[in-house]
Amino acid sequence: MPRSCIIALVILVLTCAGSAAGFIIHRHTFIYSAEDLISNQSYTTKMSNQSYTTDMSNQSYSPKMSEDENNYNGSDNLDYDGFCLFHNNQSVVDVIGPYVHSIICILGLVGNSLVIVTYAFYKRTKSMTDIYLFNVAIADLLFVLALPFIVYNELWSWPMGQVACKLLRGSYSVNLYSGLLLLACISTDRYIAIVQARRSFRLRSLSYSRIICAIIWIFAILVSVPTFYFYDWYEPSHTNSIMMNDDNQSEILSSEYVCEFKFKDRDTAMAVKVAVPSTQISVGFFLPLFIMIFCYSAIIDTLLKAKNLQRHRAVRVVLVVVAVFIICHLPYNIVLLYDTVTMFQQRSCEEADMLEMAKTVLQTIAYMHCCLNPVLYAFVGVNFRNHFRRIFRDLWCLGKKYMSPRRFSRVTSDFYMSSTRRSMDGSSNSGASFTM
Amino acid sequence: MLPIKAVVVIALTVCLTASTFAAYPHCCRRYMIGRLQDSIIKGYSVQTDTEMCRINAIIFHTKKGKACADPALKWVMDAVDRIRNKAQKIHQRSSQGRKKKTI
Repeated sequence: MPRSCIIALVILVLTCAGSAAGFIIHRHTFIYSAEDLISNQSYTTKMSNQSYTTDMSNQSYSPKMSEDENNYNGSDNLDYDGFCLFHNNQSVVDVIGPYVHSIICILGLVGNSLVIVTYAFYKRTKSMTDIYLFNVAIADLLFVLALPFIVYNELWSWPMGQVACKLLRGSYSVNLYSGLLLLACISTDRYIAIVQARRSFRLRSLSYSRIICAIIWIFAILVSVPTFYFYDWYEPSHTNSIMMNDDNQSEILSSEYVCEFKFKDRDTAMAVKVAVPSTQISVGFFLPLFIMIFCYSAIIDTLLKAKNLQRHRAVRVVLVVVAVFIICHLPYNIVLLYDTVTMFQQRSCEEADMLEMAKTVLQTIAYMHCCLNPVLYAFVGVNFRNHFRRIFRDLWCLGKKYMSPRRFSRVTSDFYMSSTRRSMDGSSNSGASFTM
Repeated sequence: MLPIKAVVVIALTVCLTASTFAAYPHCCRRYMIGRLQDSIIKGYSVQTDTEMCRINAIIFHTKKGKACADPALKWVMDAVDRIRNKAQKIHQRSSQGRKKKTI
């Protein structure tokens, strides 16, 4: 299949071009920061040499220092000497935090619960993709349910305590991994159904898909174990300050709790702080991306060969699915990769602020993917839309009959009968899982 | 449709109370250039890389704001020691005073 290879290559090249563009954007700031650091180091060594060789008296360095101090204050009066306040990021967080996230939350909740309700009550005969889609909807729903709590706690110095901290951070991680890996499973199932059609009867059984779903959920939980274990609810040590006020010593204890990493020793800290985002980038993004690119390029190739009137629509849907995945997740993962690679390097406040702001915005775009999944995967399908219409019709009828309470018991049994009959009817034409 | 209602309520309350957020405890991302004069240091706090922050640092509190210093440098630890010693003296003085009062 040479043509599928070409398509795969094109998509890969596009992906690489996107990431290269991302790196070029960052290279400028990186070079700046590297030069900056070198000059800083030489300056500090010079300064320390000076001060240590000429005794430790104040007079030896005070004239030079006062001059330097003035320069420093003139150039950077907001973030004083390396303690960054992240003004830009903070203003973005103040908007995105409550407003954009609540929109994502509401849309995701409506879309995914409709998918779950439709699958739970209406679509009786399920294909492998249906089971995967049901699980994706559950993962996205749990993710969207945890989101407002995480946002609320981060805005209010984490008032919900230790258990909520571990649970929310952990479930965030589990749902992220399971959701994205299940999307890769859907692409594999469609690949088997369309490209490997001869083998599909043997490979596409429902018990297989249930086992695969279970494996993916267990895998997602296992990958999230470090998150469960190392996230902690505590007051960071640097929020407690020892102050001297005119010969009066006082310790200012603030109650600014955070839910962040906390470690017993330095080596684990270094390892886990790099390992957790690296796993997220590789397993949570590049693995599903490569599986999807391989499967969908083979599918497009097969569809283009086939003589079918619906093929153009199918190709379009596949392209949109892949494009949306890349648009939502690639920018965030590039920034995350850059941030992870340069994790322990010193940064100027402007660069750190810009990077945090980029992460905040791009992460929100990545979150949007879980609102788009119901539309991209479920509502695109004709069968699913038919089932979905039935729900509304039945709900409408139920609502009308509900007004007269005398007939309630008969109505419910009627409703149940009709729904089961309809789903039986629907089963006849739901042979293909790749419904469009 | 109960969950949707609940989320709308949560979202609305979050939106309405969004104006007064707690300040997020930020970290030092780089060390300051040069050194501070003793007279302007009002206090300090310790940032460790085993917590949320990425680098170890001593945060000096001054009138103008907070400055991040490298704990590997001698002047930084000297300044910290000086504040600590001062605190120790005050502690001893106040505890002696208390003893006298109790006697």
